[in-house]
Amino acid sequence: MNRNGPFNWILLILSSLVLLFLVAPLLGMFLKTGIGEFFETAKDKDVQSSIWLTVWVAFSATLFFAVAAVPFAWLLARKSFPLKSVVQGIIDLPVVLPHTAAGIALLGFISRDGLLGKAANSVGFNLVNNPAGIAIAMAFVSLPFLINSARDGFTTVPERLEKAALNLGAGRSRVFFTISLPLAWRSIITGFVMMFARGMSEFGAVVIIAYHPMIAPVLIYDRFSSFGLKYARPAAVLFIIVALVVFTILRLLSDTGKTVVTKDEYADS
Amino acid sequence: MLLKTNMLILKNISKKLGQFRLTDINLEISEGTYYVLLGRSGSGKTQLLELIAGLNQPDSGELWLDNENITHKKIQQRNIGLVFQDYAIFPNMTVFENIAYSISSGKIDKSIVRERVSKAASEFNISHLLGRDTKHLSGGELQRVALARTLIKSPRLLLLDEPMASIDASLKDDIKRLLRRLNKQGLTIIHVTHDYREAVSLATRVGVIHNGRIIQEGCPDFVFRKPVNKFVARYSGVRNFFRVGFKKENGKWSAISNEKVIFNLSDSTYPEEGLLLLRSDDIKISHEMPSCNAGNCYKGIVKEILPSEYGVEITVDAGETFYVDVSADTFKQQPVIESSEVWISFPEEAGIALQGTN
Repeated sequence: MNRNGPFNWILLILSSLVLLFLVAPLLGMFLKTGIGEFFETAKDKDVQSSIWLTVWVAFSATLFFAVAAVPFAWLLARKSFPLKSVVQGIIDLPVVLPHTAAGIALLGFISRDGLLGKAANSVGFNLVNNPAGIAIAMAFVSLPFLINSARDGFTTVPERLEKAALNLGAGRSRVFFTISLPLAWRSIITGFVMMFARGMSEFGAVVIIAYHPMIAPVLIYDRFSSFGLKYARPAAVLFIIVALVVFTILRLLSDTGKTVVTKDEYADS
Repeated sequence: MLLKTNMLILKNISKKLGQFRLTDINLEISEGTYYVLLGRSGSGKTQLLELIAGLNQPDSGELWLDNENITHKKIQQRNIGLVFQDYAIFPNMTVFENIAYSISSGKIDKSIVRERVSKAASEFNISHLLGRDTKHLSGGELQRVALARTLIKSPRLLLLDEPMASIDASLKDDIKRLLRRLNKQGLTIIHVTHDYREAVSLATRVGVIHNGRIIQEGCPDFVFRKPVNKFVARYSGVRNFFRVGFKKENGKWSAISNEKVIFNLSDSTYPEEGLLLLRSDDIKISHEMPSCNAGNCYKGIVKEILPSEYGVEITVDAGETFYVDVSADTFKQQPVIESSEVWISFPEEAGIALQGTN
């Protein structure tokens, strides 16, 4: 054993404990779920529709908010402005808020008496107990993941590339779409996947905005509180499997996308 | 009234950038000039190029191009090409796409774009690279791509930021030839660098920038032969500086150093005291005593011999320490060894006087 031996052993043991802590509950849940009850749950129309609702609403929310969040991230990466650190703090706020508190805050905003709710109601649209309301709740708690990741991605794009494009006669929007966006693509996709994942798994904020229609986390909670652990477990297993498959596909798609060169790789070239 | 011959004029340009400040920059550059702006890193030369290109706006002052005030004109409308120090080649595009970038926004027919890119690539000998990814190109190839990409739009003025800094020494001569050719074809060039040898070999005019101010400018021979201060002198390769007192006796000027070495000087005007500068390549070295009529000869001891890009640099202690550049051929014919006695000599005209000691 070399002289770092004891330290390496301690590291190995601590790392294994952390991994075990993360894996054991999930593994236990999978092992305790019988094949028969799993397939029976998979055939359940309520479960199917709640998982589908969760996936498409989370995806739509991510896509919709990305249209504004990605240019905002570029702004944060490139520009200095007064109170920038305050703005950055506001972006991170949803991460530290209790999500039920976020749900209460949002409910005040999108209910019929709220600013957005009143506007939606005036065109005959009720955001509460509606997929649109669920999307807003999901986006509220998950937007920081996209903005921060995209901002970090834009920061790694050498600014002189944007300057060179401007010098070659390109307008600001052409520079953004042909230089900044393609070069920060990987970080944006990572942020997109993180936001999507966070949105899909959201419970606290959504349950206050919309108990019905039920997204998967609400359905799992509903089954647990109404019928117990045994009845909720197969739905949870199914939802985890669907989530894993979706994220694996998204990861594979983003990896086969355009090659992205970071600042360091560019400097090496 | 602005003179027509001056294509680019900078009038009292100032700009604060964090702790750094470009101060009262005045420049007049006529068409066809190859202007080399010399300065250390952090002296403000890149910031000045970015101001001219329009990437930054000055806090005060005016920029004129072809008798038009372009101080607040959009960068896209200035028609000034800028090649960055590391070329800023777009890594997400092929060589073709890089070169075509400025002309492929959709307004120009694709066949015309292809034709113009092909012509530009052929002019810079990079036709064989057009389909290539830019990640694995050499420094010289990247620079040619950057030049082709910039010049395809036929800019009025080409700005080069340290164009030799990222390429191998073996390719520098090729790039110099290329830049000289472009200048001879009529292209006005402003080239910033920290290396005075680039100025010597390329410039028709030189400026020296230090701490955000242009401290001297003019034709290279004048700037390098008559530096206004020690900084410029050091920048132009001078290594021999002596603190001296100047005096005139019997109609002849001379200077006496702190170490009591006497220098005979040509007839001119000198301050009472200051610095005497000598270029290393103006000093001759020999084993025998040279003829010292109307010149300066000193006997000394060789302290150190170091290889240099010219051949060798010999340090001689002759009361004062002299640095002497000797070509490789001369050193081969007349070798000297450390600790041996030698004679050094230089003509009266070689001495450059500076008032003050900085």
